[in-house]
Amino acid sequence: MKTGFFKFLAKIYPMAKRRLYRFSGGVFPRYNKSLSKQHPIHKSFIPNELILPLHQHVGVETEPKVQVGDKVLKNQCLAESKKGLSAPVHAPTSGEIVAIENRTLPHPSGLTGLCIVLKPDFKDEAIDNILKTDGKTPSDPKALKELVYRAGIVGMGGAGFPTFAKIPDEKGKIHTLLVNGAECEPFITCDDILMQTHPKDIIHGAIIVAEALGCERIICGIEDNKPEAIESMQAAVAELDHPNLVEIQPVPTVYPMGGQKQLTQQLTGIEVPAHAHAVDIGLLMMNVATFAAIFHAVRHGKPLTSRYVTVSGLGLNHPFNIEALIGTSFEDLVELAEPKTKLNYPLVQGGPMMGFEMPNNHVPVIKTTNCILANPPKPAEMVMPCIRCGECMDACPVNLLPQQLYWHARSHEFDKAEKLNLFDCIECGCCSFVCPSHIPLVQYYRFAKGEVKKNKQETLATQRAKERHEAKLAREERIKQEREAKLKAKKEAVKRKAANEAEQEASTPAPEQKAPSSAAAAARAAAARKKAAQSSDATTTESTATSEDEKQPGAPLSAREKAIAAARKRAEAATEKSEPQAATNPAMSARGKAMAAAKKRAQAAAKKSENTESESETAKDTSSHTAEVDSPELDAKTRARLAAQKRAQEMAAKRQMQADQTEISAQEENTAKVEEAPVVDKRQAAMEAAKKRAAARKKPLPDNTETSGSDS
Amino acid sequence: MISAILIFLGLALVFGLLLGYAAVRFKVEGNPMADQIDNILPQTQCGQCGFPGCRPYAEALANGDSEVNLCVPGGHEVMIQISEITNREPKEMEEVPEVAEGKIVAVIDEDTCIGCVHCIKACPVDAIVGATKLMHTVIESECTGCEKCVPVCPVDCITMIPVEPTLQNWSWAEPDPTANTRPLIEKFS
Repeated sequence: MKTGFFKFLAKIYPMAKRRLYRFSGGVFPRYNKSLSKQHPIHKSFIPNELILPLHQHVGVETEPKVQVGDKVLKNQCLAESKKGLSAPVHAPTSGEIVAIENRTLPHPSGLTGLCIVLKPDFKDEAIDNILKTDGKTPSDPKALKELVYRAGIVGMGGAGFPTFAKIPDEKGKIHTLLVNGAECEPFITCDDILMQTHPKDIIHGAIIVAEALGCERIICGIEDNKPEAIESMQAAVAELDHPNLVEIQPVPTVYPMGGQKQLTQQLTGIEVPAHAHAVDIGLLMMNVATFAAIFHAVRHGKPLTSRYVTVSGLGLNHPFNIEALIGTSFEDLVELAEPKTKLNYPLVQGGPMMGFEMPNNHVPVIKTTNCILANPPKPAEMVMPCIRCGECMDACPVNLLPQQLYWHARSHEFDKAEKLNLFDCIECGCCSFVCPSHIPLVQYYRFAKGEVKKNKQETLATQRAKERHEAKLAREERIKQEREAKLKAKKEAVKRKAANEAEQEASTPAPEQKAPSSAAAAARAAAARKKAAQSSDATTTESTATSEDEKQPGAPLSAREKAIAAARKRAEAATEKSEPQAATNPAMSARGKAMAAAKKRAQAAAKKSENTESESETAKDTSSHTAEVDSPELDAKTRARLAAQKRAQEMAAKRQMQADQTEISAQEENTAKVEEAPVVDKRQAAMEAAKKRAAARKKPLPDNTETSGSDS
Repeated sequence: MISAILIFLGLALVFGLLLGYAAVRFKVEGNPMADQIDNILPQTQCGQCGFPGCRPYAEALANGDSEVNLCVPGGHEVMIQISEITNREPKEMEEVPEVAEGKIVAVIDEDTCIGCVHCIKACPVDAIVGATKLMHTVIESECTGCEKCVPVCPVDCITMIPVEPTLQNWSWAEPDPTANTRPLIEKFS
């Protein structure tokens, strides 16, 4: 009812046809399909030379498995790659490999690529069932994938994506299998012819895939401008055991109905989300030719070596469809169709909407070539400024804003174009088709896409370069440090060796020499202590002296001292705190709970040490001196100077006194240890170090280095 | 009156503490501007700016010790970006390098190479492989085209060549807005 109304309305207002299908936009070009359809299928044709590009698909290039001069049979595998996404290439007929060289590819860039050139022997000797199948349907998707890969099947609608990569690994992921028989591009009829002549191949191919993947339904969409194809397909379905499994669904004729997302939406009502694949929502769509190829691979073990190609165009007398061998050159096929004039214009691969002109007419048919178009060049149209009519927006089948995209692409604002979903553009060419100003809009989008991709790659490359540079700098730094460390170690080893030799020469006296030196060091430390004590404060002689004693780092000789560092620090803090109290109020109470014990210990130590004969003597000495100094109230400088003089006088005496008597005091009082320990330690350490050295000399070399290392 | 003063003092104290805490908690390590600039520099590490690499130049820019127009491989675009980041006046590039058509990479003539490892040491991105007295070669995908290896080669066996477009990296050219179009199909059926 509704469709009838719009069909009627379309006679008055053609754009009413846009209400007949589910996606928006779309255009209605002149189809010209009868050109090639009215002529019978051309008989099979073997050219004098077959050019087989190693790169006929999306992914990486295959590697040749044959050499120049090899004789090959039909269906033999000529090239394959294990490196990544690819599809093997097979020999379309028997013959000899005459060259493996660069030839122009059927690509808009006009670039050359490595091709295997096969000279047919016209015997067409084939290896049957080269894929070694038993003709049964693979039971699981993995087996099917493997077989499809070995057969070298790629998406034959034009995308060229290796089919095995489209098939999911697990069963049950796909609930509906979609068969694309829409063929919406003008002029092209190869799928139409295939559906008319080999409907069973297509249907059985679809059933094989459906069984392997566990699909519940198969829907085949065919545009309603192909009534013969619909009829023959329906007849083939009726012959099936389960005709309900497959549904042949005529769809309205509109360009681009054959687009994967458009046909999916038309058949299922589901719009495939942007950045998602149909597989993600449980749908899988393939072209009719792909299904036929799968059927041949599974049932007959035959790889993809030929395909239906439409040779059509307004410049040909006898356009036709042909099952062309892969590798047949465009020129050869067009010559068969009797061009009206000499072929001095570029041929077009694909339809007029999405196809592109060949840079060179001597390019081969590849797995994705569905049409060779020979249209004499039309007069060039002048590109006029955009008048913002918005026609392109109405025509866009993916609801983009072609005009905005155009402005951004033209002014190189690619990030803005990307934000407007540039990458959802399917490059169908509807916008260019409807543009009254003849602006080649699609060209701008293709350019913008290329630039965006290039920029992304550059960013990645920059990132990598940065990482590599930083890694290099880090490595250089590391090597430098390692070298320095090595050099240092070497120098030390030499020094040690020299020292060892010297010691050996002097034999035993060495320890004795060392001991006095350590004693001298202890004395120096004591002197320094005194100096600090006197200059700091007159009233806090003893305790300050002890605290300073512990602060002196000049004397240490052993690692032992470090071990008791914590204890010393505690004592230090304690004594410092207790200084005023020690002088004024010996019976002071604990202020902080945490510090109480330490403080008391320190106080006691200070008191006891005063009581000790030996210690008190020296202490009194110093205190008396400082008191003398203090009373005249001299300034700090003079005081310090005087102290220094005094110190010099006392030095010799003190050295011995301390050396002997600290030990006594330490024995006398446990608490005194807090102060005395370092001094005792120093001496002990010095002695021990000397002992070690002596022992080390007797030991082998490696040990020697260790001990001396720790000593130093 | 007193209460108002107290309130404001209290507020000042609270916000002061908050700011003080934020200053400690969200302290930015290093100079973020240097990182920003480093990210837009082309990382060829060519040293044409007079600094020993992209990072040092970025740091000098961040400290305001350098001109914005020294990055030769980056060209005008990078200069504009740098001046935007550093908030300084854009300054035209002093020497305009001949517009290089796409990327160039170093190629070692392996017959001439004597295996001196000079170029390996010079390469800032470790894109040259080889060993002493053995043939060297350039990893094309890693080469940034900085040309640092060219002057150090004692036998002049390194040449810079433009990267040929392949099917993988080919992209459509920009349409000429002034040129006429030739649609493949007649419009308006």
